[in-house]
Amino acid sequence: MATISHSFSARRVLDTVSLVIRPGELVALVGPSGCGKSTLAAIAAGIVKPDQGRILRQYQRHGMVFQQSRLLPWASARDNIAYPLTLGTLPRAQITARTHAAAQAVALLPEDLDKLPAQLSGGMRARAAIARALVVEPEFLIFDEPFAALDPALRRRMQDLVLSLAQARGFGGLFITHDLHEAARLSHRIAVMDRQGKGILGSLVPPGTPGARSEAQIFDFTQEARNHPLLHDLVNVDERAVTLDCACDTLGFQRCC
Amino acid sequence: MLPILAARAALRFGPPAFGTVLFLAAWQVAHWHYGAFILPSPWQTLLAVWATLSSASGWAALGATFGRVGLALGLSGLIGGGLGLVAGYLWLIRATLAPVATILLGMPATAWVILTMIWFGPSHGSILFTIAIVIGPILYIGTVDAVLTRDRRLEDMATSFGASRWARFRTIALRQILSSLGPVFGIALALGFKVAIMAELVTNVAGLGAQMAQARAHMDIDLALANVALAVAGLVIIEHLVIRPFQTRLGQWKRGAA
Repeated sequence: MATISHSFSARRVLDTVSLVIRPGELVALVGPSGCGKSTLAAIAAGIVKPDQGRILRQYQRHGMVFQQSRLLPWASARDNIAYPLTLGTLPRAQITARTHAAAQAVALLPEDLDKLPAQLSGGMRARAAIARALVVEPEFLIFDEPFAALDPALRRRMQDLVLSLAQARGFGGLFITHDLHEAARLSHRIAVMDRQGKGILGSLVPPGTPGARSEAQIFDFTQEARNHPLLHDLVNVDERAVTLDCACDTLGFQRCC
Repeated sequence: MLPILAARAALRFGPPAFGTVLFLAAWQVAHWHYGAFILPSPWQTLLAVWATLSSASGWAALGATFGRVGLALGLSGLIGGGLGLVAGYLWLIRATLAPVATILLGMPATAWVILTMIWFGPSHGSILFTIAIVIGPILYIGTVDAVLTRDRRLEDMATSFGASRWARFRTIALRQILSSLGPVFGIALALGFKVAIMAELVTNVAGLGAQMAQARAHMDIDLALANVALAVAGLVIIEHLVIRPFQTRLGQWKRGAA
């Protein structure tokens, strides 16, 4: 993404933001609430067309995992997972086979596939959302705070799932999060966004590679990183000081901000 | 297992059955108090309904009223719903039509009955027009609201997977819009019946309303009540055969999500 700028209702939320992600690299993007992380993710996914700037994609297919799953409430888990494939011209048999493969990859039980999202637990919904992103066989995955609403134990299980899938399939990705520990656990590199969306301030690289880091390494890194000047706003920003119109990314990217 | 099923059935059907019995009992008491000339008993009304249903003219009146309401509902759905769909997506159309919808909604149904009778004379077309013009704005506003209150984040999700504008509308927006329209169609149907009977009564064009006008002229209270009962029964049957299944099919997920 090169020099991306974007405004909503004459308010500039992103100002010349550039970010390069290498093939197979998982980059965590952190920054305080309202800094434009979700908008950048929406631009990367093609949901929003930026006012200025260019996106150069060196991959064929991407998938996206959203905050709060965004599963179709009227469709079963199976139909939700298959949804991206139904938009194309794949034969039904292939859709079914790939849907089951994706469901299996995220350890969704066959008996859960016929349930509606409202009948699934939070963890199952998150798994279905990941499976939906995987079903397109993406080379690049965008995660927009997908586990923010989950309890710590479940969040950790979902992180493990992402790690194992990334290792097995070798996809790169952009992982939006508020949580420094999550970023340190999952990513090759942590990009830090300016609190007013005026570019990427810089990057931090946790030791080792995702999945191979010990808990002690992650803990030490996050403790050290908290004192890093790059993360000053993330660690110290008081969300009450953020004005209402720019603090509206609690449900992911929204057009209001 | 059997006692549990029986208890469930009692809980489900008991209260409505009790309510119906209570209503019929109150009716019977009122009949005893006022006499058969003012208020026939439920049994007398049932006999009058049977007499109406035993004659070809009764079925013709019933068919005329139901046909008009069905046709008007379809027309209003196409025009009001279609315009509502366009206005829901296009701000300019919505803003332009907002005062028109408000004016049409504010017009009393009786005013339309009189106006259409003057414009078109007492005819099948004038009644059809009256019903359509009264329920059309309701379906328009309901559709606009359904479009505006849909969850757009689901469409963003579809966009991220490369869904075209048409695919997003067909697979996501339309489903949400239709599920919101069930109750609106129920209200429009009920209102359509009221307006149809009123218009038929005033214009004296064949239908349940015209039969009521005849009953009034002959002071035949049994026939008048029989026609009211037929209209209500018809409305209930259509609601349970058409509107409820439509609501259940398209709106089940909303109840599941609650």
